[in-house]
Amino acid sequence: MKAAPFAYVRPSSLPEAVAELGGTGGGGKVIAGGQSLTPVLAMRLARPDTLIDINAVDGLDRFARRDGFLEIGATVRQRRVEHDPASAAVPLLGMALPWVGHRELRSRGTVCGSLAHADPAAELPAVACCLAAEIVATGPGGQRRIPAREFFSGAMTTALEPDEILTAVRLPVARAGEGFGFAEIARRHGDFALAGVVVAVRVGGEAVLTGFGVSDRPVTTDVSGVLDEAVRAACGDRGRLAEELGERLAPVADELVDTEGDAHASGDYRRRLFRVLAGRELAKAYHRAHEEKA
Amino acid sequence: MTSSEAPNRPRPVRAGAGEPVEVRMTVNGTPVTVHVPARVTLADVLRDQLGLTGTHVGCEHGVCGMCTVLVDGEAARACLLFAVQLDQAEVVTVEGLGRPDELHPLQESFGRNHALQCGFCTPGFLMSSYDLLTHQPGVREQDLPQELSGVICRCTGYRNIVTAVREAQQAHPGGIPAPGNCARRALAGRGTGRSVVDEEPTGAPAEQSAAKAEIVLPEGEPTIAVDVATEVGVGQDQVWAVFDDVHRLARCLPGAELTEELGEDYYAGRARVSVGPIKLAFKGVAHIAEHDRAARRMRVLAQGRDTGGAQTQADILLRTEPAAEGGTRLHAEAKVYLTGRIAQFGRALAGDVSRHMFEQFAAAVSETATTGDAPQGRVKAPGAFRLLLRSLLGRLRRRSR
Ligand SMILES: Cc1cc2nc3c(=O)[nH]c(=O)nc-3n(C[C@H](O)[C@@H](O)[C@H](O)COP(=O)(O)OP(=O)(O)OC[C@H]3O[C@@H](n4cnc5c(N)ncnc54)[C@H](O)[C@@H]3O)c2cc1C
Ligand code: FES
Ligand code: FES
Repeated sequence: MKAAPFAYVRPSSLPEAVAELGGTGGGGKVIAGGQSLTPVLAMRLARPDTLIDINAVDGLDRFARRDGFLEIGATVRQRRVEHDPASAAVPLLGMALPWVGHRELRSRGTVCGSLAHADPAAELPAVACCLAAEIVATGPGGQRRIPAREFFSGAMTTALEPDEILTAVRLPVARAGEGFGFAEIARRHGDFALAGVVVAVRVGGEAVLTGFGVSDRPVTTDVSGVLDEAVRAACGDRGRLAEELGERLAPVADELVDTEGDAHASGDYRRRLFRVLAGRELAKAYHRAHEEKA
Repeated sequence: MTSSEAPNRPRPVRAGAGEPVEVRMTVNGTPVTVHVPARVTLADVLRDQLGLTGTHVGCEHGVCGMCTVLVDGEAARACLLFAVQLDQAEVVTVEGLGRPDELHPLQESFGRNHALQCGFCTPGFLMSSYDLLTHQPGVREQDLPQELSGVICRCTGYRNIVTAVREAQQAHPGGIPAPGNCARRALAGRGTGRSVVDEEPTGAPAEQSAAKAEIVLPEGEPTIAVDVATEVGVGQDQVWAVFDDVHRLARCLPGAELTEELGEDYYAGRARVSVGPIKLAFKGVAHIAEHDRAARRMRVLAQGRDTGGAQTQADILLRTEPAAEGGTRLHAEAKVYLTGRIAQFGRALAGDVSRHMFEQFAAAVSETATTGDAPQGRVKAPGAFRLLLRSLLGRLRRRSR
């Protein structure tokens, strides 16, 4: 299957790129790595009349730490982030990236492209939500920052306007006393998750749980109360914490997991998966957070 | 890690729907320029325009991994990239990995371990595992199935594939050797029939005039080495009278035709060869690099492309020496480099065909030297059936000896 014909522009500056996108009157699409867009075009599920390739745009390959954030520009490839030592500042990146498709897709796919694509079962949007990242968008009216938890508005729908380009994501750098966890179950490595969890625990602060693959967007909730209860019930017994958590997370799973299921897994199975994974990862993150502090 | 080196950025461009876009890239070490509409994938350009059909296409939406190639040193799906995105990029396909006569260690290992059944997935697995062993030379054995899961084998030969990769890894603990077949060579495909090799590569010797198509022979062993001698019943001076006149010389070449003099001993021409169902029509350039009547030596470099994706380059040295009874011993050494579908001939058959063509050439030189005339019309292109039969007979005879 081949893509239908489309016009193609590859501007060299951001203002040009924004103007090009605006000039298409909604008929244009940005292409970053193309790892999600190309199959959609090949299957002719989408037929944009123009593609705006942002890979020659100056400055979008920015990948640096600034003001307590790791900033990843729109053309920074997933594989680069996966292997760059700078990513250690955001441990969840290293935990989640190996699960994004296969190596061959990550060589070209971008972190921001995954966010813009907003697949409900994708790993990176969940990471962004769990960490309360900021998404930077640039349109004809200038730049704005959108909190990740407000960015995803439904399956493959985001708060981006049709004439806006996602220029970067800003992920908060981990601090002492924070611990993280990530897990997913897929039928085969590289496939989208049947259910996945991302957790962040802060000593003396909040514990956040984000689920993906279980609803039409990443779903995030504060589980500090559940964690406190479970910690008390486990009485310092490391092995028991995950178990205590798993039981206490049942209502959370019922609330967050919003899917009928499909040919691969029923809704009930996903709820159970989610609860078990969330329990285990929260326990791990709790221990990591406390070890970090010590 | 190569992944953190920023590759060359593509040049700005604007093209309407269906309008061809110029793309410059390096494919297996050869700088190429193609003109394609934006919706054409890299996989299709490699296969159709460059004749590199080793890159297979299965699903065309990123799932099966058949089309895996290296882009700027990392494995990527050629079906998920529009060729226009690859401007300034460096691409390596399975053809660049090893040479027919010196396979890459991974290819050897796949063969040895019976890691290919129908072979459809093999290029994908080779490129994916090359990428893996380059970037993670110490990858653990238990992680191999997961790390190789980006490619699907419909013959389900995974066990042997994993063993092959493991064996290649163990044989090269310091890292798998680099691709062994990346050198400048002719690349052309069935799409346009027009050259896509950049004719003025940067860093090329400056003495070449700008208008001239440069003939750069690949490095390394040729696909075929022809070394033949034959005796013709005329004196050396008569033979050289033919060699001195490039028009007469060209008419002695089976299936060949000189179409244009480009100056400075460069000539454009055409040649037709057919063997069995394969019919090739080459267009190309020849350069008389050396013409030394006193030393009785002549060296010709030639480069041709067929519209069907066959490429050939040759370095031919002709020598003469006196033979008994006033005759001349005509000696030819040729190094022939083949790529594209012509390489499927098999080296032995291609060698036989080349030898027979040389015999026909010698006979024609003898005739034109004797009569003083060019042969009547052109020397006929080697006929498909006759040539094949002669090649086969020749081989049978040799074997029964
Ligand atoms: C076989 C296969 C398996 C995969 N498995 C996974 C998986 O397990 N997990 C996962 O998360 N993903 C997976 N993916 C999807 C892909 O690899 C994602 O990583 C990502 O969505 C691709 O990013 P990209 O840069 O290639 O985006 P593109 O394909 O270029 O773009 C995707 C969408 O986002 C828009 N877009 C991109 N960049 C911008 C921008 N800067 N501004 C505005 N809009 C933009 C595009 O217009 C398009 O609509 C898979 C893909 C394939 C083909
Ligand atoms: S053809 Fe490219 S992945 Fe299947
Ligand atoms: S060997 Fe046949 S598909 Fe793998």
